[in-house]
Amino acid sequence: MLYIKCPHCGLRSQNEFAYGGDASVKRPELNKEISDQEWDEFVYLRKSPRGKHLELWHHVSGCRQWIKVLRDTSTHEIFNTYKSEEKVG
Amino acid sequence: MTSISPLNSVHLAGDHGNSKNKNTDEIINIKEIKNLKIFQIVKFKKNKKNIENYKLSGLNFPNKLRVSENNDVRILWIGPNNWLALSGTSSLSEVIAKSLSNDEFAITDLSHSKAIIELSGKNIKEVLKKGCPINFNDINKNEVVNSIFNGIAVTLDFINDQPEKIRVMCLRSFGESLYHSVTDASLEFGYKAI
Repeated sequence: MLYIKCPHCGLRSQNEFAYGGDASVKRPELNKEISDQEWDEFVYLRKSPRGKHLELWHHVSGCRQWIKVLRDTSTHEIFNTYKSEEKVG
Repeated sequence: MTSISPLNSVHLAGDHGNSKNKNTDEIINIKEIKNLKIFQIVKFKKNKKNIENYKLSGLNFPNKLRVSENNDVRILWIGPNNWLALSGTSSLSEVIAKSLSNDEFAITDLSHSKAIIELSGKNIKEVLKKGCPINFNDINKNEVVNSIFNGIAVTLDFINDQPEKIRVMCLRSFGESLYHSVTDASLEFGYKAI
């Protein structure tokens, strides 16, 4: 069981959240011509790192906001959480 | 039009569970709160004015996890730029229309879409702890949290500390299921359905 500090609501149980995948993936620009290969990579290809990973989580049973979580995938330690619009340095 | 409360068919007045030979403050009192006017108020992203510039029925919009209230209206924070206004008076829609513009806020009438159970008694936090993962020691009077109770998304409105009184709100369609969960958790203390 993880405890995730929502930037809006404070420390909450993982039960209130839904995992939303890699937060570093960027959607191709709107109306930009891109190849099938690039679409394929955007839609399907993900890294599966062992260590620090920036993730999206949805506080679905709380404030219903998307947040970013910097988490270690091997130890599950959570280093920091950010609002969705915050830039992670 | 006749309105039927969400818990009409499950909320049966009387004593239930382990309530014999117990003082009234030892058992859980369960009451359905009906006929409240409930409006969701969401500040549009394009509205760049500070929320402190707005008032509703003389009340400021509360900051996170807080509640503002007067005799007419209770305003709950339920997310960033997102509030619930509750009132027992039927004029809430007019009060909102006078204070807030539809160009600046999304205002939705949720009056018939919520099931509300009010719990009171000294053991109510013990009941809620059985299905809800929040830390009840951190929460005081006039605070509000959105969480889950046995998998059902709920809003917990901490009405009072002494005596303890908490309102549990969920979507109407989950109301009966929530009621069964809460009453099941209350059996060991005994409960009185009011």
